[in-house]
Amino acid sequence: MSLLESLRFTRGDTFIHNMDPRVKFLLTLVSFAASVMFLELVPLIVIFLIQLPLIVAAKVVREWYKSVKGASVIAVIIFASNMLSFYYFRDRQLTWALVEYSLALTVRFIALITSFSVFFLTTSPDKLSLALEKVKVPYEFNFAFITAIRFVPVLADEAQTIMDAQRSRGLELDKGNFITRVRNYIPILLPLIINSIRRSLELAEAMESRAFGATENRTNIYELRMRGSDYAMLFIVLLCFGVMVYVKLYLPTFSGLLGEGSII
Amino acid sequence: MGLIEVKDLKYTYPHSEKPVLTDISLTVQPGEFILLTGPSGCGKTTFCRCLNGLVPKFYSGVMEGTVKISGLDTRENPIMRLAQHVGLIFQNPDNQIFALTVEKDIAFGLENLGVSKDEMYKEIEWAVETTGLRHLRQRATHELSGGQKQRLTIASVLAMRPQIIVMDEPTAFLDPIGAEHIFSVLDRLNKVFGITIILIEHRMDLAAKYVDRMIVFSEGKIVNDGEPVKVFADDQTRLLGVGIPRVFELARRLSSRGVHFNRFPVSAHEFYNEFKTRLPEDIRRGDGRFEDLSEFTGEYHHNPAIEVKDVYFTYPGNVEALNDVSLTIYHGDYVAIMGENGAGKTTLVKHFNGLLKPSSGRVVFHSVDVSTLSVAQLARNIGLVFQNPDDQLFEETVEKEISFALRNFGFDESVIEKRVTWALNLLDLTEYRHKSPFTLSGGERKRVALASVLAWDPDILVLDEPTIGQDYGQKERLRHFLTHLRSQGKTIVIVTHDVEFVAESQPRIVLMAGGHIVDDGVSKKIMTRPDTLLSCSVSQPEITRLFDKLSDHGLPKDVLDVDEAFDILMRNVGGASP
Repeated sequence: MSLLESLRFTRGDTFIHNMDPRVKFLLTLVSFAASVMFLELVPLIVIFLIQLPLIVAAKVVREWYKSVKGASVIAVIIFASNMLSFYYFRDRQLTWALVEYSLALTVRFIALITSFSVFFLTTSPDKLSLALEKVKVPYEFNFAFITAIRFVPVLADEAQTIMDAQRSRGLELDKGNFITRVRNYIPILLPLIINSIRRSLELAEAMESRAFGATENRTNIYELRMRGSDYAMLFIVLLCFGVMVYVKLYLPTFSGLLGEGSII
Repeated sequence: MGLIEVKDLKYTYPHSEKPVLTDISLTVQPGEFILLTGPSGCGKTTFCRCLNGLVPKFYSGVMEGTVKISGLDTRENPIMRLAQHVGLIFQNPDNQIFALTVEKDIAFGLENLGVSKDEMYKEIEWAVETTGLRHLRQRATHELSGGQKQRLTIASVLAMRPQIIVMDEPTAFLDPIGAEHIFSVLDRLNKVFGITIILIEHRMDLAAKYVDRMIVFSEGKIVNDGEPVKVFADDQTRLLGVGIPRVFELARRLSSRGVHFNRFPVSAHEFYNEFKTRLPEDIRRGDGRFEDLSEFTGEYHHNPAIEVKDVYFTYPGNVEALNDVSLTIYHGDYVAIMGENGAGKTTLVKHFNGLLKPSSGRVVFHSVDVSTLSVAQLARNIGLVFQNPDDQLFEETVEKEISFALRNFGFDESVIEKRVTWALNLLDLTEYRHKSPFTLSGGERKRVALASVLAWDPDILVLDEPTIGQDYGQKERLRHFLTHLRSQGKTIVIVTHDVEFVAESQPRIVLMAGGHIVDDGVSKKIMTRPDTLLSCSVSQPEITRLFDKLSDHGLPKDVLDVDEAFDILMRNVGGASP
């Protein structure tokens, strides 16, 4: 859970936060592509290191650290399972190449986590929705997306309250065998569902009262506009991508376990 | 022609035979400030839904008669068109906030209408200014307090520039100062911008002084309509069990004993201005025949039931909710925990039965550390009833709902049967025994929730906001009921914002603010300290406010309820009146 929790948007006023979400998404995609493209330790470490300044610039080091910490278990599993499987199914000897390969996969995973952290930690759902709007996603979907995010904390609070109320009535959630335990959740799920239905009715009423759907030409108070810095960033991102492809295609690859030049 | 014209309105919800509204005819002129009241289930909320066409467009059902808003027939015009004339605000702010930031939410209606960006900023500017939300403009909506959320809902409809704003119990969840804040925003909109306000409210002591017209509903009909002073004086209103401002009640009783009032007051301020000239000469000079009663502070010397010792509590995400709280609740105590929204009141009571464990410090129940017991073990002795019954009701029948906890605690079937019957009787629910709790009204559901806890007869009863959403009659019944339980030696703790309820039952008060206890003592002591109260977002009861002023003339300060006030005034003033 802590892995997902640490991907929650944190408010800020840094140049990363203010970057156009489309450019930022492209940045994330390029980092993603880069991490997938290489299988060698050195370039993956470089990809990982390149992203660190972004995290520092966005002032989300602590949140990022939390997400990496949350992912560390998975990272260890990746490392161990690769080590073990290649050890047993290949040469049955512990070579540096084997360690390097397993390490590379682990670093790739961390690099991926990092690139997505940067995006989600610094992009407000509002901006995300604006970006969706720009790429012509219908407003109804967009509205549903924002409403879902809006009600996550409300529902979480409510679920907690219901759980507290039923426990105060002597309900013991972790008592009995598997079937009983599942049944124990009925007194919690039912009020939650009924409240949600009631809530959706109230929401619909409130939407009507705020002229939802009054005109086809809905306006938006915020607008996405590419600024100079966004174009500059776009240029840098594309340049990085170019360099990466060049390195991949024309520079001799580092020694790898699966043979030369293979992508995966 | 009036701004609102309602003629022979009759309405029946779908799947229902009995009409909720019948023979409603009324005219509202621009600039009126109207209070709509009546017992629960009298049709006032439905009436509000008629004003912007939600009835019958959204709800369908059968509507007869006409409703016209600025000449627009609600049946012929779409809701979104009417929404620009009538801003409807519902009780629960959480279910009307759509956006993630304040500014964006205010913009929502304007965006829907296709208003240009520049125009939007202008309207938002005005809306945040009028509702005092300017400094919160970029704030995330889920970080707002209850009062701020409610002001946001006002701002959001305000930005659409309606001529009429209709609010359904906007202050139900708010602390007294938060509630006053909402009323003063509405008052300003009415007085300064001429916006017509229609307000549904049960808390007369807070609301009556702002309005210039009152409409009383009962069983779908209008039974009274006019100036508040006239409506309150009418026997019809009294019989319905509609709340009457305490100072008004006091004045009425005094006048029946020959004290003359030119005009009955609805606030302490009005009462005082009217009354001070009638004070006998020696009292008017303030010769101080009364001693300062601040010494009157009954101390408690019984056996402790719950002891909270140096408790700190922090929610995940470093939200500090309790900050060094120490409190002892004794056997047979009747305690009200009061204080601003978010002061940590509910967090504190959740420590009593172990739902929350202190981050540091100890909670002791009958000399046993709570952390060594399970919630179920503690709940057996400490019954906690939550604010919203809908957060716990789930069974098919009321009977099953009440026996749920009894089964959890492993009572015998024969005992369960007896206890259920007993609890149903106690709360006057016997006729609903085999009904689904979901078909009951809000007030009844609240009673079922209470019964479902009372059934296992816990020694200590903790009620979180028992008066929310209850009309005057229901509150009275609750008060009598609590008295009854106390006479059986039960320990009762309530968490409440309801100052008048507290003034009439006079419990020991624990005042909280910002996660710690600010003051603790008998009602008479706490309620006569306006500054301390204010720091906890609690206001004085109107009667105490009045005596705060009268104390300049030597009358005692610590008077909380109408009976006592009447008694004191009759003894000291009554005789001197011509």
